Amino acid sequence: MTKLPTDLLIESLAAQAGPVTPLASPLRRALAAVAALGLAIGAAVLLFAFPDSIAAQAADGRGTLGFELASMAVTAVLAIFGAFHLAVPGRSRAWAYAPLAPFAAWFLLSGVGSYRVLANGGHGGWELGESVRCLRFILMVSAIVATPLIWRLSRARPITPGPVAWLGGLGAGAASAFALHFFHPFAITFVDLGVHLLTILLVAAIIRLLDRRVLRPA
Amino acid sequence: MHWGGNGADGELTELLARAQTGDADAYRRFLRGAAPFIRAVARRRLRGDEAVEDAVQEALLTVHRVRHTYEPGRPVEPWLAAIAVRRAIDIARRGGRVGRREVHDEAAYETFADPRTNAVERNDDARELRRMMDELSPGQKEAIELLKMREMSLAEASTASGQSVASLKVNVHRAIKRMRLMLAKGPPE
Repeated sequence: MTKLPTDLLIESLAAQAGPVTPLASPLRRALAAVAALGLAIGAAVLLFAFPDSIAAQAADGRGTLGFELASMAVTAVLAIFGAFHLAVPGRSRAWAYAPLAPFAAWFLLSGVGSYRVLANGGHGGWELGESVRCLRFILMVSAIVATPLIWRLSRARPITPGPVAWLGGLGAGAASAFALHFFHPFAITFVDLGVHLLTILLVAAIIRLLDRRVLRPA
Repeated sequence: MHWGGNGADGELTELLARAQTGDADAYRRFLRGAAPFIRAVARRRLRGDEAVEDAVQEALLTVHRVRHTYEPGRPVEPWLAAIAVRRAIDIARRGGRVGRREVHDEAAYETFADPRTNAVERNDDARELRRMMDELSPGQKEAIELLKMREMSLAEASTASGQSVASLKVNVHRAIKRMRLMLAKGPPE
């Protein structure tokens, strides 16, 4: 089904050779995005967070809280780095798997923490409780985080938008779940954890479904 | 231009960097130099010269759209290879879909082997199509010709006609709607 001779197509494309501004390297663009995200979350925490949120969760019997927070932050950062790298042709596909280990560590550590809360007779058990608020928070913050992130990613017009969308969604969801801990003055139960996981996957799936519209693939 | 050594890659790297500044001659030379490499990548994944050439053209159009993502100074080969592979996969998938839609019809030989068998009907159809095309606006006619008759992609049709992708879509949609109405009404007395 070849339509135009290739030479003719080349001439036609060369005739449209306007100047373009090369994108900065994915590393620099990802660093800028992560720095902006860090500043925004930091400002929101300083201005609006519950002052004793982290102390309350730590006192609720979760010795792993620091590691959980670190693994969430690393998941978000690696997912964002991966999305920026995969948006550009020819970069290593290994970036797609970079956030998987911290993501697994996060849920493993949170699972252990939730078990400790349950074993110590903590609140919550298997009730839905505050989980609906968590879901609302993660969805809302993810939308705020994802909008500029996806816009930045779309500038590369990714040729394989699927993995870029998944990683962008995972990055936004993980960053939101990280921020949630500063607005969540009680320990996370198994139900909360399940809701967090489902919400993050939901965010990633929504962005994946919209990828052809929002990422402007080439 | 030979691939596999640093010489060709280095030359193309320089040409692409110059093309990013708007140098049309460098861009033309880059595209001409890139086409054989893309063709070689496509040949490893596709069967048939036509499918390979489709992949080459799709890849060149993609190169045009994403040329701003090339980072000057980096080797151009991985960047170009990723685009070529992606477009070859797209063409292979599209080919697979067409293959699934088309069926082998034993009786088709009897009906279609002799071109004279259907000549009368074909002439009538062609006349009817021409009549309907004459009724369309110039933009709609152009969109149908490029996208449906010459089977160009939206990007190619946009390049060839100067219409935006969005207006091509709108024109095709309106043209088909209008032609359906004309078909329903039948030819004028």
